[in-house]
Amino acid sequence: MNFAHWKKTGLLLLSVVTLLALAACSSDDASGSSDGGNGEEPDKITAWAWDPNFNIAALELAKDAYEEDLDLEIIENAQDDIVQKLNTGLSSGSMKGMPNIVLIEDQRAQSFLQSYPDAFYPIGDYFSTDDFAPYKLAPTSLDGKQYGLPFDTGVTGLFFRTDYLEEAGYSKEDLTDITWEKYIEIGKEVKAKTGKDMISLDPNDLGILRVMIQSAGSWYVEDDGKTVNLVDNEPLKKAFENYKAMIEADFVKANSDWSQFIAAFNSGDVATVPSGNWIAPSIEAEESQAGKWEVAPIPRLNLEGAVNASNQGGSSFYVLNIPGKEKAAEFLGATFGSNEAFYQDLVLDVGALGTYAPAADGEAYQAENDYFSGQPVIADFSEWTEEIPSVNYGLHTYAIEDILAAEMQNYLKGKDIEDVLADAQAQAESQLK
Amino acid sequence: MRKIKRIATYTFLSVASIVSIFPFLWMLVSMTNKSVDVTQGRLLPGTYLLENLQALFDTVDMGTALLNSTIIAVITTFLTLLIGSLAGYGFEIYRTPGKDRIFNLLLLSMMIPFAAIMIPLYRLFGGLPFFGIDTLAAAILPTIITAFFIFFFRQNTKMFAKELVEAGRIDGLSELGIFFRIYLPTMKTSYAAAAIIAFMNSWNNYLWPLVILQSPEKQTIPLLISNLGAGYSPDYGLIMSAIVIATLPTAIVFFVMQKHFVAGMMGSVKG
Amino acid sequence: MSKVMKETGLPYTASKKTLGRRLKNNYIGWLFILIAAAGISLFYFYPMLRALLLSFQSGMGANLEYVGLDNYVRLFSDPTFIAALTNTFIYLLIQVPVMIVLALFFSVLLNDATLKFKGFFRTAIFLPCVTSLVAYAVIFKYLFGVDGLINKFLMNLSLISEPLDWLSDPLLAKFTIIAAITWRWTGYNMIFYLSALQNVDRSMYEAAKIDGASSLQQFFYITVPMLKPIILFTSIISTIGTLQLFDEVMNITNGGPGNATLSISMYIYNLSFEYSPDFGYAATVSYVIVILVVLLSLLQFKVAGDDK
Repeated sequence: MNFAHWKKTGLLLLSVVTLLALAACSSDDASGSSDGGNGEEPDKITAWAWDPNFNIAALELAKDAYEEDLDLEIIENAQDDIVQKLNTGLSSGSMKGMPNIVLIEDQRAQSFLQSYPDAFYPIGDYFSTDDFAPYKLAPTSLDGKQYGLPFDTGVTGLFFRTDYLEEAGYSKEDLTDITWEKYIEIGKEVKAKTGKDMISLDPNDLGILRVMIQSAGSWYVEDDGKTVNLVDNEPLKKAFENYKAMIEADFVKANSDWSQFIAAFNSGDVATVPSGNWIAPSIEAEESQAGKWEVAPIPRLNLEGAVNASNQGGSSFYVLNIPGKEKAAEFLGATFGSNEAFYQDLVLDVGALGTYAPAADGEAYQAENDYFSGQPVIADFSEWTEEIPSVNYGLHTYAIEDILAAEMQNYLKGKDIEDVLADAQAQAESQLK
Repeated sequence: MRKIKRIATYTFLSVASIVSIFPFLWMLVSMTNKSVDVTQGRLLPGTYLLENLQALFDTVDMGTALLNSTIIAVITTFLTLLIGSLAGYGFEIYRTPGKDRIFNLLLLSMMIPFAAIMIPLYRLFGGLPFFGIDTLAAAILPTIITAFFIFFFRQNTKMFAKELVEAGRIDGLSELGIFFRIYLPTMKTSYAAAAIIAFMNSWNNYLWPLVILQSPEKQTIPLLISNLGAGYSPDYGLIMSAIVIATLPTAIVFFVMQKHFVAGMMGSVKG
Repeated sequence: MSKVMKETGLPYTASKKTLGRRLKNNYIGWLFILIAAAGISLFYFYPMLRALLLSFQSGMGANLEYVGLDNYVRLFSDPTFIAALTNTFIYLLIQVPVMIVLALFFSVLLNDATLKFKGFFRTAIFLPCVTSLVAYAVIFKYLFGVDGLINKFLMNLSLISEPLDWLSDPLLAKFTIIAAITWRWTGYNMIFYLSALQNVDRSMYEAAKIDGASSLQQFFYITVPMLKPIILFTSIISTIGTLQLFDEVMNITNGGPGNATLSISMYIYNLSFEYSPDFGYAATVSYVIVILVVLLSLLQFKVAGDDK
């Protein structure tokens, strides 16, 4: 009886303590880190980015290179998490808790800029847009105003195993400036001679289609960024045909996951990796394959005007329209926007390749990479960057791609290509009003 | 016949256990391997355990995240159980007029996907003075009051012997006294089950803490793990080490609590 | 329990209460549920009301305008939504019954007082639901990959002659998702049954054994009726869980191939965050889930006859 009594008192006590603790948790925000909206200039500038070895490291480097005194807090969030947090915060209307600087993937940029018209601060006055690769400017600006400061390029290359290709009778020359048809032909030969697959693809990810069509200056939407452009899109049709030809050539190692994708080349199971330049560190992670890799330009579509240069991924910095925006914009302008020496360090220390043209003549860009058999990889990539055709990614890249993914299944099963694209067009038009 | 049944039972449970435990074991093995091996699904233990742990504690603030998650989960579990069982008991024991209608209404709150109410909820907290955005309290508050546990305790109370309530009244106990001194000890197994679930839900909760917590010093474990897998070339050995550390607390809570599921224990309490 | 009744002579239903006492108890009854009701109103009903208003609006991001019932009309001609709805129902119809039966089965086996290693078995079977989603997604994709362990195993047994496309064949991918959900949540449901089984009077089983009832008969005539409130609880919870299914689909197949495994919740996520955000239409799709869950729960309450 007595025990029971004490138990009850103890429980009540515990509840009180808990509630007090709860109150304590809540009161320590009085001096909150970045409360925007009230017009006061904050002491601290916050930035959101997602890759500690890449864009976060780049921001750290920029912080060190910046000569002014700036209290910059860099917060790490996964990319999908940033998209969710930003959408939730911006759509709630209160800018509380939002960062001053945020990194956004180029293919999502238009959607953010147009969804939240007053949320971003134009920063065109803080750097010279002429210094940057033209293909980065279309997705990062809206209505003639520049909102994004281009960060990395997603310039693509054809990474290949020199030993496998040699065994099949091909040299780097044979892979340079080829079409995807030629690539498929070589792939069949490689498979026949070495037994190795040519490429690893995730059936649920059509990123390779985007790489193909951008090399011909085309996209899922027209230049206005809105009008769905699938049905009479010749590059897209070609890309579909190439994709199917690859699957049917039986040299595709399927993966369903980023880790399996990486495993496919780390384990030596595939002969080539056509991808954005950012894949290089993952290839280099397998030390035993040092000296066995080189990079050729990405294959092009067999069409008039298509070039052997394309893009996959890549992102840019944006400044939110909250107190501290001038400080944030000045910081970006003085580092990523104009500092040539900083770009040399960026390449050397972080391995991040920007699109700031004046930096390309610097010494760091010419360095030879031992892992890639002494090839000056950075110099090659930055040369290809200049050639990437500019397209307006517009608003609906991922929505349309999901529709295309469903239609791709039908196409692989034998549905006529014209019908496939016509049906995708109709569905996209009805869905994206 | 009996022996065959026994053997069948053990075989079945063993197979089920192996299937269940396999990914967990793989996690343990993977934390001793380097990233390249993890991605290739290596099943044998390696020698990279210390390197992985070293790298983990060097690159991320595991301690802070563990502390935050623990604070949130413990407070949440305690308050969830208290509030949920009070309400579940109240609904089942008292014949308050209209209670079933209210109960059904409360159940409705479980039925909407969280993603749909997240933005209004965020806006709500944006206007609150002490429980605002980027406070642990804001991460806790909406999760402690859920129809799930009211429903759970109401259904369990249906199996509670209501005569005990009358007996308590005759003994001169207050209504709250009956709840704390008769109901609570009698329903120990239900509380144990609820504690496991509440702790687990809170420990693994992702979406709400993600949007409501901003600063790194408020980060919880699931957010930290999400960040680890974010880059172009994630280190899977390191991720697996973090995951093992993140999984252990819930596994331990379960292992401790499940002792309350021992058959026959209730008899002594009730008698 | 029977001892108490004898001593007091006052079964609950026949208690002699005065009117005053009853009123007081009503009042106390309200107090018991007050915190919960207030909290749910603030943190759930208010946002739900906002979401309902949102479901009559459409537009990109912050540029919303009222469009009346347009969103609801749009649902019927949206093939992606229809695919997600169909998939979700397939998951529901196959997965929930399988899991409930399996969980009941495990709990009865593990409730046997003479069983050894109970603690180990219980923990092992419960572990999947605490195993981190990241780890479990990676390993499921690895197990079910074309050259994964499952295919190797089946080929060794000569059950199949060439590897199956578990993740990229529309039908097999659905199966993989169902297997994944069942794997993850069976142990979770099991502990509800295990805890409830402790409240079942052991003497009932002993009496039944003396009467010569088989274990199967004991299961159907004692266990199932006694656990009815909890079976109802878990089947409603699982129905809600499956209708809101997101984690498995997002992490294992990402909705593919095409949209063969897309769930409604994943579509809501895509509409809000993956595509150009249309929170209005996303709210409309959410309310479809609400309506479906309400209908299915009513049905389950009816079938269980638990209204009183």
